[in-house]
Amino acid sequence: MAAIELDGVTKRFEDVTAVSNLSLTVEEGEIFGFLGPNGAGKSTTINLLLDFVRPTSGTVTVLGNDAREESVAVRDRTGVLPEGFDVYDRLTGRAHVAFAIDSKEVDADPDAVLARVGLADAADRQAGGYSKGMRQRLALAMALVGEPDLLILDEPSSGLDPAGAKEMREIVLEEAERGTTVFFSSHILEQVEAVCDRVGILRAGELVAVDSIDGLRAASDADATLRVTVSERVDDGVLAAVRALAGVQTVERDGDDALRVACDSDAKTRVVTELEDRGVSVTDFTTEEASLEDLFLAYTERDEDANADGTGASDEETDEAEAHAAAEDTEVPR
Amino acid sequence: MSWQAVANKEFRDAIRSRWLHGSTLFFALFIGGAAALFFGVLLGPGARQVSNLFGFFANLGVFSFSFPGLLALVLGFIALSTSHGSITEERESGSIKLLLSLPNSRLDAVLGKLVGRSAVVVVALLVGFFVTFLTLLATGTRLELGSFVPHIALTALLGVAFVSIGLSLSALADSNREATLATMGLYLVFAVLWGSISEGIPKLLNYTAEQVGMGSLSEVLRVKIGVFLKYLNPLKTYETLAAQLYYPAEQARLVSTAFGEQAVLTPVLQESIPFYFSGWFLFLILLAWIVVPVAVGYWAFERADL
Repeated sequence: MAAIELDGVTKRFEDVTAVSNLSLTVEEGEIFGFLGPNGAGKSTTINLLLDFVRPTSGTVTVLGNDAREESVAVRDRTGVLPEGFDVYDRLTGRAHVAFAIDSKEVDADPDAVLARVGLADAADRQAGGYSKGMRQRLALAMALVGEPDLLILDEPSSGLDPAGAKEMREIVLEEAERGTTVFFSSHILEQVEAVCDRVGILRAGELVAVDSIDGLRAASDADATLRVTVSERVDDGVLAAVRALAGVQTVERDGDDALRVACDSDAKTRVVTELEDRGVSVTDFTTEEASLEDLFLAYTERDEDANADGTGASDEETDEAEAHAAAEDTEVPR
Repeated sequence: MSWQAVANKEFRDAIRSRWLHGSTLFFALFIGGAAALFFGVLLGPGARQVSNLFGFFANLGVFSFSFPGLLALVLGFIALSTSHGSITEERESGSIKLLLSLPNSRLDAVLGKLVGRSAVVVVALLVGFFVTFLTLLATGTRLELGSFVPHIALTALLGVAFVSIGLSLSALADSNREATLATMGLYLVFAVLWGSISEGIPKLLNYTAEQVGMGSLSEVLRVKIGVFLKYLNPLKTYETLAAQLYYPAEQARLVSTAFGEQAVLTPVLQESIPFYFSGWFLFLILLAWIVVPVAVGYWAFERADL
């Protein structure tokens, strides 16, 4: 059974479509990373899972229950670290966890849960005096109460220092070890890369890619950026000839003594040979493999009119080219 | 059903509010102080009995004043201020995401808030009445518990009704600011405008009836409609029910009516009290002020995107 199933889900607010025709399945026991820039619709999707907002169309099923009609059953088995939440200023940390225990109608020791997230010392303090990171830990503690089958974490490491983010990651992995499905959103790739089995990339309310980290890496490794150092300025005719080679997407000057060539990995030799054949003396060349980061940025920064069609895009020359151009934009300071 | 968890959380949270502490202090000083003034200073030992303050009604015809009426005004304000932000504030801060990411239904949330915030208001009220009780003992006042105890219970119900009203406004409003303004507006209607409106409506009905050629409404009917509308105001429902704890029903119904209305209604009530002016019917109105607002609030909140 799938832990999360979104089928053709659209959510329109008054003047904006936050999520558009989203279909996504997260299997039980999976750690699924939900990536996308701020405002891509990640939180809206999570809010749909929790019945905070209701879909304009489409169906949302969580742990086999309809997210709208059987929301309490969903939340009974789900631990949530929401985004943009706040704590009850006048209640202590312990009172917060006690509230979670009472709401979930389980037997648990608040102090043990607080110790797990590193808040044992602050248990008796009013949460209004907590720092952002402590509030985040407190919400995680509330989420962990009752050994949930599903953890939904919306930007879990926001407000945490690097050590805190690492602890958060460890707790997520521990929970996954127990068999809990983890669904978490982030706009930072590294966090997702470190723990996720699969990722989905959301851009402007649409799912543009779903794949395993390895799958995404394979897709990104297929392309390379070649930096060729030459002895003198290369004229436009030669540039055009290189650009015309099979497997080459873009060619640009990088100053007067170097070229940047975006091409498939197997086209690298052809590029160098072509340059030498045309009388350009190549003094050096380096290959920069596109990182996962580039790919992520390429997916999320692509032009509005580009068609979004997942990682299978490698056979679509135009998409790849655009993806690459975008990656380079961020890589090369001008 | 986890409304108890929500109620518990609400109670623990609201009871720590400094605003509530201030309100409680004010309420205690108000009724305790009034008791000390009446029974310690103004009234001689022979007149020291609870009904001389808590059953104090003065009707000057155009203007009526009563201690229960004043009590209701103060308590209504405290109860509204305790509840009107209970949903909007959570929405604005985002704490509602904690509340509703736990397995609490929206009904649990609304009921829990009603119960929790009501409990806080009742605690404030009991503190006030406890201070009063001590004052009564200290001044050797006759307690008349048969009237006084039900009066405290009735006052608590009024408090719950206003918590319910504030809660529904909080559920209907889009922002805390909107909830605050709506609450202030509604309080103004209850406290000041309701009387004029309920006197105006029968006149308007009469005028309409005359215009469409149905003849004019009888004076008795007009007065009955006007007074009935007056008692739909929870403040007035409470006031007349409180009066009934100390006086006969027909007298209690007239405590805040104008002289003209009294002249018309007195013979009617003395003959027999129509069911819609009876104590139990007015009590149902007070209960409706608890049930209906919270139901409307739930209806709105259930449909809302957070």
